[in-house]
This record gives sequence, structure tokens and C-alpha cells, in this order.
Amino acid sequence: MGNVAYRQVNVPDPADIKGPHCMNEPSFDPNFGFPNGRKERVMIATEEEMISAKIPLEERDYCAHKLLDYRACRADVFPFVYKCHHAKHDYLTCQYEDYVIRMKELERERRLYERQNRIEKRNFA
Amino acid sequence: MSALIKGIKLASNVGNRTPMLLFTAMSNRKASHWNKDLKPGPYPKTEEERVAAAKKYNLLREDYEPYPDDGMGFGDYPHLPDVPVECKDPYYPYDLPEFKRNFSEPVHAHVDTYSEDRTRADPFISHWWMLLSFSAAVFGSLAFYYWMEDKRIYRPVTPKQLPGGGKVHYTFERN
Repeated sequence: MGNVAYRQVNVPDPADIKGPHCMNEPSFDPNFGFPNGRKERVMIATEEEMISAKIPLEERDYCAHKLLDYRACRADVFPFVYKCHHAKHDYLTCQYEDYVIRMKELERERRLYERQNRIEKRNFA
Repeated sequence: MSALIKGIKLASNVGNRTPMLLFTAMSNRKASHWNKDLKPGPYPKTEEERVAAAKKYNLLREDYEPYPDDGMGFGDYPHLPDVPVECKDPYYPYDLPEFKRNFSEPVHAHVDTYSEDRTRADPFISHWWMLLSFSAAVFGSLAFYYWMEDKRIYRPVTPKQLPGGGKVHYTFERN
């Protein structure tokens, strides 16, 4: 009973959201403004490796190979896990850079959205 | 089960008849057995009986007023002023400051209701003000909630980029 009200009140429908939002994927052409295009992100860890290491689904991102390294290191040197400080730092740095890319994507989305609004306003006037 | 219910009935009976039982002269609730000296005497009908009862309870005659003889069983126990402990003067040098009480001062028949952790007879705010405060808090919160409902804050990032599913993600480096 309460779930209906909760869903209606609290969670906006992504289709109703105008402009950039944390729930929406970028809507503009990703290569717009890059004459030769952008470099694609490369997934290094394979599906079999991640399944074998039982990596959770939400952690199977572009840093999964570093997570695999870190976990392998921990398994090797346990209980002297301080020896894996490099692998851990490497993995966390990768996660930080992934987050920065996502922040940049949203900022790009916001600027392109405002640019589109500007152009539409100018054409309309 | 029946023993439990009978015990509760007995406790409530005894508590109604002799409040002194539940609150002895030193304000300690004791688990000791009932004492015949704690039982109030019969309702005083003549002036002599009232004088004797006032002396028995360490009261002046003009301060002594028994409860009405309406079958509640208070007998000659004095009807003390209905002043909760919380409303007593906190700066008076009481013998027992924690109870705001002096030695050999009679205790109120409903002392378990009027003790400082229970209630006070005079509500310091009116019921209308209570209702108004409650409504203001509840409906004010609701109004604030629905007013701010579409004004959301979020961390300025796009959803997490997970490979697979035919999606292509890009870095910000040029080819």
C-alpha cells in the first residue's frame, strides 16, 4: 500500500527529467566536438576472470582488472595484507579517475544542453 | 495465569485502600509485608476525632481535611493540597531535597501520581496551544516536504559506466 505512494512521490520518472541528471545517460553525440572522435574505454578483465573471482556485478567496471590484482595479492600474502598497499592504491586511483570521467560527462551534458537551449531560443526569436 | 490475575487484583485493591502501603514514611518503596500501622483509621465524624486524626498525621487542625467518606476507603487519611512535587518551591531547604519533602511530613494519598517523574496538575500550556504546536510541526513538515519534493540534490555524475550490453564509453582523450 505505502509502496505505491512512495514510488509516485519520491522517484521521478527519468523520461520526465529535463536536462542533465544523475539518473540519465548522456543524450548528446559523444563525439560531438571531437573531429577525430574520442578514445573508447577499454575493458581489460574478461568475463571468465570476473566470474571465476566472483566479482560482484556492480564492481565489474573498467577497473575490474585492478580489483582482480588487488584480490589476488591479498590471497597470496594473507595475513600480511599491508604488502598489497600498492595494488589497493592503484585500484582506488582507478576508481577516482572513473568518477572524474563521470563528472566530466555530466558537465559536458549540462553545457551542451544549455547550448541547445540557447540555439533554440535564438532560432525561435 | 489465574494466580497472576488474582495477584494483580490484590495489589490494586491494597493500593487503593492504603496508599501509605506503597509509599512508606521514608519514601522508600519497600517489598516488606503490609503493616497494620499504615492502615488509615475510620472516617472521623466528630470534632474530637478530627483533632486526634490531625495530631496522628502531624498536621494542624486547620490544615486537616479528610477525604469524603464515599467508599474509596481513605478513612481518616488527610486530603492534602493537590500540589505535584514539580510545582513545589525548589529553593526551600527540605530535609529530603530529592523528594522536596520534610521529615514526618504526611505524603499525599496519590503520591505515586504526583511524584516529580509523573505529572503535574497545572498544564503549563493550554490544550489549544498544544494542538496548534502539534499541527504546526506535522503539517509544517509535510508542507516543507511537498514544497521541496521536486527540488532534488544529487552528486554531479552520470550513472556508473559498466561495460557490456552494447554500450560504448569514451575517455576525454582525442584520437
